[in-house]
Amino acid sequence: MQWFDALVQGVLLGGMYAQYALGMALMFGVMRIVNISHGDLVILLSLIGISMAMAWGLGPFTVLIILVPLGVFMGWLLQKAILNKVVGSDPLPSLIATFGLSIALQNLMLQIWSANSRSLPGEGIESRSIDIGGIYIGLLPVIVLVVATGLTWGLDLTLKRTRFGRALRAAAADVEAAAMTGINPRAVYALATAIAVGILGFAAVFQALRSTVAPADGAAQLIYAFEAVIIGGMGSVWGAFIGSMVLGISQGIGFRIDPGFGVLAGHIVFLIVLATRPQGLFGKA
Amino acid sequence: MSMTVISQAPVEPPAVTVRRQTPSGRIAMTLAVLGLIALAAMPWWASTGTIRSVLVLCCYIAVAQMWNLLAGYAGLVSVGQQAFMGAAGYALFVFAQTLGINPFVAVFLSLLVPAILAVPLYFLLHRLDGPYFSIGTWVVAEVFRLVASNLPLVNSGAGMSLRVMSQYSAFERNVAMSFLCALMLLVTLGGSYWLLRSRFGLALIAMRDNPVAAASQGVNVAKLRFLIYVAAAVGCGLAGAVYFMAQLRINPPSAFDPMWANVAIFIVMIGGIGSIEGVLIGSLIFFIADRWFGEYGATYFVVLGLMTLLVALYARTGIWGMISKRWDAPWFPIRRTLVDPDR
Repeated sequence: MQWFDALVQGVLLGGMYAQYALGMALMFGVMRIVNISHGDLVILLSLIGISMAMAWGLGPFTVLIILVPLGVFMGWLLQKAILNKVVGSDPLPSLIATFGLSIALQNLMLQIWSANSRSLPGEGIESRSIDIGGIYIGLLPVIVLVVATGLTWGLDLTLKRTRFGRALRAAAADVEAAAMTGINPRAVYALATAIAVGILGFAAVFQALRSTVAPADGAAQLIYAFEAVIIGGMGSVWGAFIGSMVLGISQGIGFRIDPGFGVLAGHIVFLIVLATRPQGLFGKA
Repeated sequence: MSMTVISQAPVEPPAVTVRRQTPSGRIAMTLAVLGLIALAAMPWWASTGTIRSVLVLCCYIAVAQMWNLLAGYAGLVSVGQQAFMGAAGYALFVFAQTLGINPFVAVFLSLLVPAILAVPLYFLLHRLDGPYFSIGTWVVAEVFRLVASNLPLVNSGAGMSLRVMSQYSAFERNVAMSFLCALMLLVTLGGSYWLLRSRFGLALIAMRDNPVAAASQGVNVAKLRFLIYVAAAVGCGLAGAVYFMAQLRINPPSAFDPMWANVAIFIVMIGGIGSIEGVLIGSLIFFIADRWFGEYGATYFVVLGLMTLLVALYARTGIWGMISKRWDAPWFPIRRTLVDPDR
């Protein structure tokens, strides 16, 4: 029963990680770029949301409605101002640029919000739980998981069914060939990054509701997103989702074995997948 | 149509000589040798405080040059070299403090640990493509930190002290520190220079410019990358062992501090990637900036981060790239120039 509980908690934790991982899978799939400031953007959005909630007494739903469009705008700006200049076959410039951005953002947040941990007041949903056959499940983690599933499903459908999705997959397969068929890669990239950071708007609200956020937390979020994407297999949205579940379950069971072992258990599962199945659980060899 | 056979007359190889050194290189080499001697002789002319500062500068140079070899030549952008610094640092403390080996012998013994760890890690990490390799190295550093936090052998999260150093006088320790600084620069900078001038250097430079083309010319890119990864692990290990020997204390957050990745990237990108000169320029700039602006804390790091970003966007060759475009006077020449003595 104790282990089943750990499993359930792990799946719920995986829902949170999926919200970080989707954006990373999308950006890497399309541009072969890993945005090192990925986690810092989540924290930045969280802190902005918390400050707005404090200043104007907004509820979490209102904050979500503001943060998602803000994330979309930040993603578009990131692409226009920085990433469009460094996208290319050499991974070094984009890594260094987003690495510099990450250090600048972290320390800027430290200046504005200090090193304290903060959280978003959730009007009671964060403490409500449901009793299912002796296991208490928090209502909020269930909402997080449902939203994560919805986002994955929506993103997968967008990629498969829409004109934008086709353009995006074409640009991912071969930029030059896509450009010849009339697709503007820069516009596709800008939209992909806007969606990726927009999804982080959801992650920002739920992270701040579930636990606390502090300016230095971004690095851990980046690493979890990355591990989820690699475990699941690159280039697949559902792969990133399943990878998040595997990571969440590994950490959940690890935490149950020993509280100091939780995060490490996730890293170890990641390294095992890398050693035995480097293309990921769902990747094509 | 008739076929014509072109008879190939034996071609005499032109009587040329290969010039490898330049006047600027000779001056720089003289200064470098004098600098190393001055470094080793520090206990006779510098205060303990100065020696400690110079030691930190030498660690910056060593770590930055190792990152430069990885990212600038081998195309392996690691943000987790602190894993090897901490591993060697911890190994030193275990050998010297727990097992009672002479600390000055233990410094060298401790280099075995990063070397041995780097081999399986490379075989895991090289499966990750480009940017994913970078975050993979970071995960490894995190794993090292978490393992050290849970390992009773290294006193878990509480860390260790190098109390055995108290049996040596301050002067003896200064002599050892100064000697180790000189040795560290000789190994990391001198070793890199030697490597770049050797036939491996030609292969490395070919690989830096275009790995696919280099492979087609017979360069064993995979093997070279592996060797560079292990060499960089040992180089960073040496810097870590020396740094923590001077600190006398080690704990998981300091041993595996991601700050070292920031420092290495900043130094190499600002100074100029793919050159030893760039590392020296970048290290000096960072060292001075750290002394002058370090007190501004977060604001200082915002500026460092933005500078790194701007260099990546607009000036990828860094300061040395801009200098060498204007004046062709390398400090560490690695080019082979053909000179015809008849002209």
